[in-house]
Amino acid sequence: MDREVLERFRIGDEAAVKAVYDRYGGPVFALSMSILGEHGLAADATQQTFIKAWRAASTYDADRSFAPWIYAIARRTAIDLYRKRARVVVSDNVDVVSFPIGLETVWEVFEVRSALDRLPDEERQVVKMSHFDGLTHVEIAQRLDIPVGTVKSRSHRAHQRLIEMLKHVEEA
Amino acid sequence: MTTEDSRAQYLASGASPGEESRDRLDLIRDVLSTGATWAEAPPQVADALLAALAVEGAPMSVASEPSSGRWALVLAGAGTLVAIAALVLGTVSVIQDEGENLVAMSGTELEAAARGEAAFGPTEAGWWIRLDVTGLPPAPDGSYYEGWVWSDDGEGVSIGTFHLRGEAMPVVLWSGVPLAEYPSIWVTLESEDDGPEASELIVMTGRIPQAPEA
Repeated sequence: MDREVLERFRIGDEAAVKAVYDRYGGPVFALSMSILGEHGLAADATQQTFIKAWRAASTYDADRSFAPWIYAIARRTAIDLYRKRARVVVSDNVDVVSFPIGLETVWEVFEVRSALDRLPDEERQVVKMSHFDGLTHVEIAQRLDIPVGTVKSRSHRAHQRLIEMLKHVEEA
Repeated sequence: MTTEDSRAQYLASGASPGEESRDRLDLIRDVLSTGATWAEAPPQVADALLAALAVEGAPMSVASEPSSGRWALVLAGAGTLVAIAALVLGTVSVIQDEGENLVAMSGTELEAAARGEAAFGPTEAGWWIRLDVTGLPPAPDGSYYEGWVWSDDGEGVSIGTFHLRGEAMPVVLWSGVPLAEYPSIWVTLESEDDGPEASELIVMTGRIPQAPEA
């Protein structure tokens, strides 16, 4: 993210905070969903994450990458919310809080969503229809009313971009 | 085919020549097929965030910075956001718990042991209201609980039903009417044989503090 934007974020500039939300709102919401599994709670966690980030903005070092910083706040916020909810459910044994299976992949969810949000819309759409909806290239072409060759080329470009953007995840 | 092409092909299809380990790519493929990865935050989250930050004002560390670009002044006259900010003002100052909008819920004489809280926030379709309650027994067979929001004019709107038989709290309910105008939250016990109106068996109540005049 642009250093100037991050510097302005530190001083509470409106446009900068909007830019930060536009860039990281999706990954933070995806991370929150992977932990909390519920739209309302995830929305709550996302809002809390950015409020906490804004409150702590003056402590952020603009020389460092922003993504790990906001990721750490988002993860902690979602886990706290999960614990709070679980505490109500298991009120007789508040120390026992089991987490959903997906907790160990929240970093990957955050990083993959970050990469997806940087894809051109038409490529992102093809990736979603392929992986999430489970459609074949022919089916995607029919749904979008475009040639199969176009779907294939978009898919190819998109996955090349993803490989490039997610190299650090693949090598982790 | 380059190594990168080969990996991109594997990521796309799960099938590619080569014997190298694909564990991490398989994990990324799993993440790509997961609903959470593609989930979109309701647009109202951004509006609510703006409003909440407007309420808080600028960070203390930069109090001497010029204020022209700051949330508080920029948003001070901003139509719909002021309405949201007004609601946030009405709740944050009184009942905010680490950024959550919370209302204390208490049992009536019918369920005196029931207690808990209702968290709420804006969503795409209106408002979500999450009840975290203890001490409220499962609704007897043939009956159910119903959540309501009520205006001060005595108009009630149902926000959903639940029975707690085998269900774990919390229960998430939904309101399509503005909570600033319907600030009272009730839970009633309803019979499956009765009509859609609220029964007189009110088991829990809570109230969102009124927003100040904008």
